[in-house]
Amino acid sequence: MLPISYWRNRKIYTRLLGSRCKKCGAEFFPPVKVCKKCGSREMEELEMPKTGVLVSFTKLTEPSYEFEEYVPLYLGFIRLDNGVQLVAPLADVVEEELKPGARVEATVRKWAEDGEEGIIFYGYKFRVVKQP
Amino acid sequence: MEGEDKEMSKVFVRSAGLIPVGEYWEKSIGELMYEAASKAIESAGDVKIDRIIVGNMFSGYGTHQEHLGALLASVLGMAGTEALKVEAACASGGMAVHEGYLSVKSGEYKNVLVVGVEKMKDIDTGHLTKALAMAESAEFTQAVGATFISLNALLMGAYMQRYNVPEDQLDYFPVIAHKNGATSPHAQFRRAVSLDDVKRSPPVAPPIRLLSSAPSGDGAAAVILSSEKGDVEMLASETATNELMLFQRDNPLEFKATKAAFAKAIKRAEITKDKIDFIEIHDAFPVVSALSLEAMGFSEEGKAGRDAESGKYNLDGELPIATFGGLKARGHPVGATGVYQVVEAFYQLTEKGGKNQVQGAKVGATQNVGGVDTTSVVHILRRVS
Repeated sequence: MLPISYWRNRKIYTRLLGSRCKKCGAEFFPPVKVCKKCGSREMEELEMPKTGVLVSFTKLTEPSYEFEEYVPLYLGFIRLDNGVQLVAPLADVVEEELKPGARVEATVRKWAEDGEEGIIFYGYKFRVVKQP
Repeated sequence: MEGEDKEMSKVFVRSAGLIPVGEYWEKSIGELMYEAASKAIESAGDVKIDRIIVGNMFSGYGTHQEHLGALLASVLGMAGTEALKVEAACASGGMAVHEGYLSVKSGEYKNVLVVGVEKMKDIDTGHLTKALAMAESAEFTQAVGATFISLNALLMGAYMQRYNVPEDQLDYFPVIAHKNGATSPHAQFRRAVSLDDVKRSPPVAPPIRLLSSAPSGDGAAAVILSSEKGDVEMLASETATNELMLFQRDNPLEFKATKAAFAKAIKRAEITKDKIDFIEIHDAFPVVSALSLEAMGFSEEGKAGRDAESGKYNLDGELPIATFGGLKARGHPVGATGVYQVVEAFYQLTEKGGKNQVQGAKVGATQNVGGVDTTSVVHILRRVS
């Protein structure tokens, strides 16, 4: 990742900042310029809910060169409680707990480092909610 | 402007050429294009090329070479000829053919050389994975470490749950591709694999395994499209897009781009889909095969795997797919793939299929996808009798 790109998106990456259409109320992540439901350009910032369900998941062993030192990389297709969907890394993984439909919650973790002296990229990862 | 408008032309495939997909360590991207283009030019007879279009996804990242249009014109000794490169991720080849089709159709050009090329083996796996992920969002797909295979793995997981389909039913698609690839002279992998082989191959990103994932390879393919009547007419060339990011779509299991491009193509060609004798689909992963065939209406939702199991899509079945091995066995040099498909359709319709000939083929189609159905290009061709 380009450090400047991380810097531009830092709020989105750490707060799950998306957008809501002022006209029809549709919600999106990542933020959009134009509402995909009604075409309105009047959008406002909105933090996404931090909980949802795991729809599907995978365990990646051949990532791009930027993530090679973090394998295996667990990724989830997540549906947040407002219906918005995203792909996110999974944290604190216990493989037996990864099941379609499992409740997950957002947390902020390290994604990667930009080399030995570069910045550290932090952002959202999801983990399975522990049953009380 | 009246009086200056050229009459719309019919578009014919005048000739075709390709090199087997493989590992060309000793050859540059210019040489790969040169070889495929030369084959098409040599078999075209006396022809003056008035436009060159190159389809390619990541030559800049992968080989430090951009400006492929001018490069190819120079290599062919045709500097002076108008030339450009077209990019639409893995649909770059199909999109280049589409632009070539429009060039001839418009009446502005008589003979257009279209070449698809990709050199995937000059960079290591970690960088190749990065290059392929560039088809989706840099900021929200690549940033979180998602790769192209992992997106398809998440999609396949969602498909299996939604339709209650076991993994091994979808794995019939690579079995079909490899069976056809075994007798295909230009296939990267000329050997059959069994369902058991696929099931036992190592997981790359579960549920996707090594043998259910299209390989990487170098390749180049070329066609000359012409307004002059030939043996194969291009009846339709249509494209459409879907949301860039797979998971920003309301229903990721709906291949809207393929659905729209195919519907437009059928309408343009003035045929019904049952007239299609074979289709070269974008079988990069089993779930992409399934969702593509379902979007085009050849299989019911959730039933493509079952249809594959039944033999419907075999070379001697109701609707042969991947007739020379498809992306899985012929190979998937990404930006070249869409041109390979059109060359293969040309071979089928001119009875040059050899052991892979679809008997009595009169109408063929191709479907080439960039991203996960983010861009789709559909072609329909017919034999002129």
